[in-house]
Amino acid sequence: MENKFEHNGFGKRLSSMLKVDFRRMFTMRTFYIIAGACFLMPILILTMTTMFGGEDSMAGTQPPSTSVTTQAEPMFENTWQIIGSFSGGAEQDTSADTNADPAAMGMSMDMTTMCNINMLYFGMAVLVCLFVSEDFKSGYSKNLFTVRAKKSDYVISKTLVCFVGSAFMLISFFVGAMLGGAIAGLPFDLGTASIGSIVMCMLSKIFLSLVFVAIFLAVSVAAKERTWLSMIGSFAVGMLLFMMIPMLTPLDATSVNVIMCLVGGAVFAVGLGAVSGVILNKTRLV
Amino acid sequence: MNAIEINNLTNNFGQKQALKGLNMTVPVGSIYGFIGENGSGKSTTEKIICGLIRLSGGSVKLFGKDYTDADVRAKIGVLIEAPGCFQNYSVWNNMLLQAANLSIKNPEQEVVKVLKTVRMEGAASNKYKNCSLGMKQRVGIAMALLGNPTLLVLDEPINGLDADGMRIMRDVLLDVTKNHGCTVVISSHILGELEKIATHYGIVRGGKMIREMTAKELDESCRTYVALQTKEMSKAKAQLACKYSRVEEDESGYIRVYDAEKPEDIVTYLYEKDILVSEIKTAKIGLEEYYIDLMNEKGGR
Repeated sequence: MENKFEHNGFGKRLSSMLKVDFRRMFTMRTFYIIAGACFLMPILILTMTTMFGGEDSMAGTQPPSTSVTTQAEPMFENTWQIIGSFSGGAEQDTSADTNADPAAMGMSMDMTTMCNINMLYFGMAVLVCLFVSEDFKSGYSKNLFTVRAKKSDYVISKTLVCFVGSAFMLISFFVGAMLGGAIAGLPFDLGTASIGSIVMCMLSKIFLSLVFVAIFLAVSVAAKERTWLSMIGSFAVGMLLFMMIPMLTPLDATSVNVIMCLVGGAVFAVGLGAVSGVILNKTRLV
Repeated sequence: MNAIEINNLTNNFGQKQALKGLNMTVPVGSIYGFIGENGSGKSTTEKIICGLIRLSGGSVKLFGKDYTDADVRAKIGVLIEAPGCFQNYSVWNNMLLQAANLSIKNPEQEVVKVLKTVRMEGAASNKYKNCSLGMKQRVGIAMALLGNPTLLVLDEPINGLDADGMRIMRDVLLDVTKNHGCTVVISSHILGELEKIATHYGIVRGGKMIREMTAKELDESCRTYVALQTKEMSKAKAQLACKYSRVEEDESGYIRVYDAEKPEDIVTYLYEKDILVSEIKTAKIGLEEYYIDLMNEKGGR
């Protein structure tokens, strides 16, 4: 009996893989929890820090007779602070020399640098690790890789879908930040920035997420069903690269930042995608 | 053409060699019963066929092409160990996901069809994690059947199935091989069930194929024996052992005489020894006994 096999080109294989992954992502409860958290986090941060940040009561730590109330610096003075910092430092000088002292450029690791949209890159690690490890934990990888001899389909699809998921997270955070700023009554003063540069900043952040997604994906396919291992590995690598986020994606970003992040993202996605493919080809899948 | 041709397959897990030069030939359209002890290398071979683990040496060809060929692999249905389903998804969503993975046109229709085949259409909305073991196994079979595969690789698919489930399984496998030209490789320890459907057998031990044969060859090589019952079983057994070289008492309370040519000779012989035979019949040993005999013959038991 002659068996004829239909030829499945790259496009067909990738589109079916993307269908599977998008279906999975948008039916995964964890994705909505993460996206919801991304939306709520800036609202809570901005309202809570504004509510409690303006007044720092020392009562209770001093004798009653010497009780004092000091005025503390509020953590956020402007809504945009939760989205990013200016490349030229606190005084919003967009023409600053990029070789200047990072502290002077507003790149120092203070609370606003940590407690802002950039922390979502760790949330992306959670999303990617759970998304990938669940394939292996559930045994779905058996169905997947039996009919998919080309591991590159899996890697490309996972990279693209996680990239879209990351973009969702960043946009949710941005929307939450705007709402939070309004609730907290913080100013929306753009300073030397403009709406265009804010858009460039967000685009840079979105494209930069490709770098992180590619790294987290490589770690996750190596760790397979061991979610804890992929998370620890991803967080560790994420920590190493964390400082580059505010540098590459300032509030006053230009098209150069966008292009740099796009090219960097593409290079990392291709390079680490190849690494992920090799890992899948060389190791057990069950 | 053969559906599967494996030559000198080896596989190492660290220091341990799981497969030691295994050869295997599965003709197109056959139901290949893959038999062996635990740890003999059945699952490893099946996983290599499906591309889930790497081979260390040798070659695997599927329908004349290398086993890594994407077009051939796209037409393999698989159920290895347990179905690969997401616990929190419904049966329906798990099936749709696999349909998307296989790029099936009209996925809903196809899913309904295969769920009907395994009589799971009523449980489609159930969460997979709430399904019983037997139901999960049926879902796994349905999933393997999606997209009209040309090769089905099933590892212990009968485990956990009730009598009805086993009958459905038999009917489905016979249907896909006869009417759709599908080839089935099925490993199972329930040899009685396997015997009802398999057209070919491969017996593996210690990572090597020790025998491959067709169902017809098995039938021919299975010895006939005479089974009898008397009121004096121990006395009859002792007397028969004096005349015949292999006399055994089986689990159902019959004395089996393997090298007797005619049952009437036994009746006459026992009558001469004042033993009356209450029941006598001739029968053939089945796959299970053949397998056990073969294992004993090959040593190690």
